[in-house]
Amino acid sequence: MPEHSDDGRHVPALEVRGLTKRYDDGTLALDDLELEVPQGSFFGLLGPNGAGKTTLISAVCNLIRVTEGELRVFGMPAHCLDARRQVGISEQEPNLDRFLSVRETLVYHGGYYGMERAEAERRADEMIDVFDLRAKRDVRAPKLSGGMRRRLLLARALLHEPRLVILDEPTAGVDIELRHELWRYIRRLHEQGTTILLTTHYLEEAEALCEEIALIGEGRIRARDTAEGLKRRYEADTLEQVYLKTVAGGRLREEAPA
Amino acid sequence: MTAIANPWRGLYWLCRRECHRVLKLWTQTTLAPIISSLLFIVVFGLSLGDRITSVDGFDYEVFILPGLIAMAMAQQSYSNNASTIYQGRSDRFIDDVLASPMHAWQMNFGYLVGGAFRALIIGGALAALAAPITGAPVEHPLLLILAVLMLVTGFGALGTVVGIYAESFDHTSFINNIVILPLTFLGGVFYSVDRLGTPWEAFSHANPLFYVVDAIRYGFLGTSDAGAAVSFGVLAAMSLALIAWSQYLFSSGRKLKP
Repeated sequence: MPEHSDDGRHVPALEVRGLTKRYDDGTLALDDLELEVPQGSFFGLLGPNGAGKTTLISAVCNLIRVTEGELRVFGMPAHCLDARRQVGISEQEPNLDRFLSVRETLVYHGGYYGMERAEAERRADEMIDVFDLRAKRDVRAPKLSGGMRRRLLLARALLHEPRLVILDEPTAGVDIELRHELWRYIRRLHEQGTTILLTTHYLEEAEALCEEIALIGEGRIRARDTAEGLKRRYEADTLEQVYLKTVAGGRLREEAPA
Repeated sequence: MTAIANPWRGLYWLCRRECHRVLKLWTQTTLAPIISSLLFIVVFGLSLGDRITSVDGFDYEVFILPGLIAMAMAQQSYSNNASTIYQGRSDRFIDDVLASPMHAWQMNFGYLVGGAFRALIIGGALAALAAPITGAPVEHPLLLILAVLMLVTGFGALGTVVGIYAESFDHTSFINNIVILPLTFLGGVFYSVDRLGTPWEAFSHANPLFYVVDAIRYGFLGTSDAGAAVSFGVLAAMSLALIAWSQYLFSSGRKLKP
C-alpha cells in the first residue's frame, strides 16, 4: 500500500479530485470538488445542511455512485478493497442492524472487514469496555437509548482499527458528558496517528479539535485553513463569522457582522 | 492485525449473519411456512385425495407433494431476500456491508445463501414430514438436488432484486401475493396440465413457474409434463437471468446506492 508518492512526499489520507455528484432527481450535491486531507491530521468539514458533507463522506465510503471525479484513500482508489479496509465511518443517523446485539454488531462488523473471529471478539470486548457498553452487550440495537446507539456507532467505526476515521455529526443529540467522553477517546486515537475527518454543526467543537478546517458550500470547498488562519483571512473574530461569510445562505451572509 | 482486506472472511460473516437472522426469527421464517404447507398437504391431499382418481399414475397426495414443496421453497427464498434487503435499505444498516471490503458478487452471494438456507430448512422439513405420510418416492435424487439449488438461488435472486427496487414493505409482499403465488397455483401444483384443454394448456406452458414445479416433480416422481430437459433448461435459464440481474444491481450500485 503506497505511503509515499513517486516524488517522495507523504500520500494524503484522502485525495479528492474533480468530484461531482448529481443525484437521479437532478440535484447537484458535489460540484467539481477538490480536497486533500493529510495523513495523521484532525480535519474538520463544516457547512450548512445540504452543502454536500454527507455526500462527500458517502462517496469516500462507497455508499453512493459518483458521477465524475477521482477519490483516493492513502494513495489507493477509494473503491478498491484495500482502501475500504482503511476507512471507518460513524454515520449521522444510527444505522444499526436490528437483529444483532451490541456485541454481535461489533463482531459481525469485524468479520465483514476481514478480521479473524478471535481478533474481532477481542476488539469487540475492548470497544465495549472503552465505550461503557458492558451492561448492554447482549441487548439488540433497537432497544438501546440514543446515547448508547451513538456509542455503538462509534465503537463499530473504530473496531477494525481504520487509519482514516470519518465522523459525520457524531455528537448530534448527545449529552455534554458523553460528548466530552467521546472527544477524549477520539483525541487519544488521533494522537496515536489515526486521521480523523469530522463534520459537525458545533463550530466551537471544530475549532477546539481540528487542526485544519474546510468550509463546504454548494458542493465546493469555499475556504480551507486552520481556525486562526480562517479568522485572519476573513477578518473575523470567531469561526462562526467566517462560516456566515463563506458558506451560509445569502440572506445570512448579508446579515453577518463584519 | 493485518490491514489487508480479506473478502472471503467478509463473505463468511455475511452468510452467517443471514442464517443467524433466519434462525432468530424461526417462528416466522420457518415454522409458519412449514405448518401452512403441511395444512395444504393434509387438506388437499389426504382429505380430497380419496375423491380424486390418481394423476399420472400417482395417488393425488403423492402427486401434489413435490409442487407444494417447490411452492413453499420458492416463496420463502423470495420472501427472505426481499425482506432482508428491504430492511437493510430502509434502516440503512446495509451500509455496513456496502462499505466493507467485499466484492459485489460476494455481497450478492451472501444474501442468496440466507434465502437458500431458509428455503432448504422448509423444503427439508416438509419432505421429511410429508414423504413418509404420503409415501412419495425420490426417483432422481441428484436431479432433485440440482433443481432445488436452481430454484432457491433463482427465487432468492428475485427477492434481492425486489428488495432493492421496493419503495415500501408492501411492494415485497405484493410480488409474492400477486405474481409468485398465483403463477405457482397455475403451474400445475394441484393438477397435471396435460388434463387441461386448449388454450389453458398452452397458457400453462408460458408460465415459468410450471417448469419449476415440473422439474421438482421429475426429481421426486420421475414424471414430467414438459419433458425433464425442457423443464431443467427453463429453470436454469430463469435462475441465471435472475442471478445476473441481482448481480448487476450490486455491481453497478443502481437503486442500492443513491
